[in-house]
Amino acid sequence: MSTTQGTHSLAFRVMRLCRPSFHVEAPLRVDPSDLIVGEDIFDDPIAASRLPPLIDAHVTKLTDTSDLTYRTRFLLQHPSDSFGLTGLLVLPQAFGAIYLGETFCSYISINNSSNFEVRDVTIKAEIQTERQRILLLDTSKSPVESIRAGGRYDFIVEHDVKELGAHTLVCTAVYNDGDGDRKYLPQFFKFIVANPLSVRTKETTYLEACIENHTKINLYMDQVEFEPAQHCSANIVKADEHKSEKDSLSREIFKPPVLIRSGGGIHNYLYQLRSSSNGSAQSNILGKLQITWRTNLGEPGRLQTQQILGTPVTHKEIELCVMEVPSVINLDKPFSVHLNLKNHTERELGPFEVWLSQNDSLDEKAVMINGLQTMELPQLKAFGATDFHLEMNFFFCLLAISHSSSMEMKKSSIRPFSIPAENMLQSFAFD
Amino acid sequence: MDSDTRDFQPEPVSLSADPLSSQFASLNDLAHELASLQDLANRGSWHSIPYKVRRARSHYLLNTPHDHLIYLAYNVLGLAKLRRFKDVITELDSVDDFDCHHYRYETYLKINPNRSGSVVPFSLRWLHALIPIKSGNYQEGLDRFYTLLDFVPGKLKEKQDHDILIKMWRKREHLGNKEFGVCLDLSKDLVSRGNLDPVLLSKLGYIQMQIGDFGGGKVNRNKALVYLVGKDYVSAVREYEECIERDPMDVVAINNKALCLMYLRALSDSIKVLENSLERVPIVALNETLVVNLCSMYELAYVKHSDIKRTLSNWIARVAPDDFDSSSTRI
Repeated sequence: MSTTQGTHSLAFRVMRLCRPSFHVEAPLRVDPSDLIVGEDIFDDPIAASRLPPLIDAHVTKLTDTSDLTYRTRFLLQHPSDSFGLTGLLVLPQAFGAIYLGETFCSYISINNSSNFEVRDVTIKAEIQTERQRILLLDTSKSPVESIRAGGRYDFIVEHDVKELGAHTLVCTAVYNDGDGDRKYLPQFFKFIVANPLSVRTKETTYLEACIENHTKINLYMDQVEFEPAQHCSANIVKADEHKSEKDSLSREIFKPPVLIRSGGGIHNYLYQLRSSSNGSAQSNILGKLQITWRTNLGEPGRLQTQQILGTPVTHKEIELCVMEVPSVINLDKPFSVHLNLKNHTERELGPFEVWLSQNDSLDEKAVMINGLQTMELPQLKAFGATDFHLEMNFFFCLLAISHSSSMEMKKSSIRPFSIPAENMLQSFAFD
Repeated sequence: MDSDTRDFQPEPVSLSADPLSSQFASLNDLAHELASLQDLANRGSWHSIPYKVRRARSHYLLNTPHDHLIYLAYNVLGLAKLRRFKDVITELDSVDDFDCHHYRYETYLKINPNRSGSVVPFSLRWLHALIPIKSGNYQEGLDRFYTLLDFVPGKLKEKQDHDILIKMWRKREHLGNKEFGVCLDLSKDLVSRGNLDPVLLSKLGYIQMQIGDFGGGKVNRNKALVYLVGKDYVSAVREYEECIERDPMDVVAINNKALCLMYLRALSDSIKVLENSLERVPIVALNETLVVNLCSMYELAYVKHSDIKRTLSNWIARVAPDDFDSSSTRI
């Protein structure tokens, strides 16, 4: 089997077959009455009655089907002709850019440009990426019997693009040429798959997702849905509609599209998250975004984000806030701290015990606080809150080193001021 | 040498301008040799128009402000069609402010005793805004269009009582540009004012489909396109064939049918449909978009496609109007 790159009878021709687009171009077409008379001439009642028939008869020639002129290239037939949107579709003119989540579709034609018939043609089309080789077409089980001189065999292949980076469409044909030699023709068509979007999220109990468009064309956002993890529920939060958009006639025809501009345009989506009330809600996985977009004539693309993680400190069940502390505190004079306890869950919690605890550090401190040992607070209903005050007192202290070799200050967070009887630390208060 | 449109003297009232005799019997009553200008434009002989305009000016054949402005309008249109944008800009620069008194009927009461208002053909205002966009100065053009968009509703308010005037100015409102967002807003405005013209709605459907929103597009007509967008090419072809049966000169149906055939893997048939239309109805089929599509198909179908494209290109050179963009053959 000859594999030399000598003259081949066959050659592959390839054309990317994404959807066609409308040809749009502001046409240089005019209404005759805008060209041959002044714009205010119709204010003159004589002109208003005499001109239109003149124009129809000599310029527009509405009923003349034998007209062999190019007047439709220069006169408007209907006012909306000026949009430049005739409805004519255009084939993709270049390969263009291809993005993750889109479908690669290609017309492949194998041409016999020789003067002889070729026989027994086995055709294969594959996509080669960094990671894998995907078979799109293989006729080896039933090879094409023959392709005549000047003839063609066509096929269309499709592949959902799921990897980034370099891709190669590898087309190979094995055939018997006019001389009976078995020939092998490989052809390679390279393209790069890029990332169309980046999604940035910011989260507290609301998840804000910002989608940025990295492609060269505007993207119509068909569906953007947040799929919450099992322990969450999510509602999308939208701005109120402007009252002018509530007009029912235009509403039926126009749902305002969400279009993200090419080359860096962004659109934000906001979701309110709630955790469902089962106790095992320790996971910080919030969920993922499913995004479907469309480009020209509805060409779809779809992506899913990875799991979006919440901040490590997951939503608190209860929250204790310091509301107010006096601006001046005198040593050894009691002062009051105003605190607030909030219940963030949907169920009743409590009762509670509140106390002042020391931080964990064993470092000597010159100033310490003492105060109420504990305070009990009753139950809080769902999403309820309560204000309370704790009396405290700052004092100086000098830690005395006891004779015992082991100095221990019990650090239990339950009873921080409990001092074991044996290893007493002397505390002195100074004014 | 182009004469300055300002430096003319109103001639004494001539017979053709006599208000007592018919002023609207023929095109030539409206402006000097207008019928001939119009004929050249119809035939696509745009090269001839700047020549004719230059000649009329240098021989002082243009006697009224009307004549000058109309010749200017044809000249600007012609030069723009030939993509001679430098020349167009020079021409437009020679125009005074459109709203100055030179360009008003009442300044020339000897010629038009009963007329008042602007002599400027509206297409000049429109071209004045469009040309910067066509020649690459997008921002300037867009600014001028927004000014124009302010101007037109003002006129509409003025002409409240006159049906035909409303019709004129409403038509003029359509001359927006390619910004889809603006276009949709303008169209929305037209629709909400009750302009439910089916052709307009159809165009809106196109716009929505182009940006990808074909849920919205379904509300409007055009079944074939809905099939095409849903990838049901067989049904789309059937619908387009019905359109062609009803109107054999429907080039949009012909072109789009050919594209559908291609998406059905029938490249040879696609090519035949387009070649056939060029043979059968060349006047409408000779369209840059159709030629671009045909040449794309040639490139796919033939390894040695330059020969067949050259044949097409030579035929086009013989038959096409002066403003045909020959780069559409992708040679």
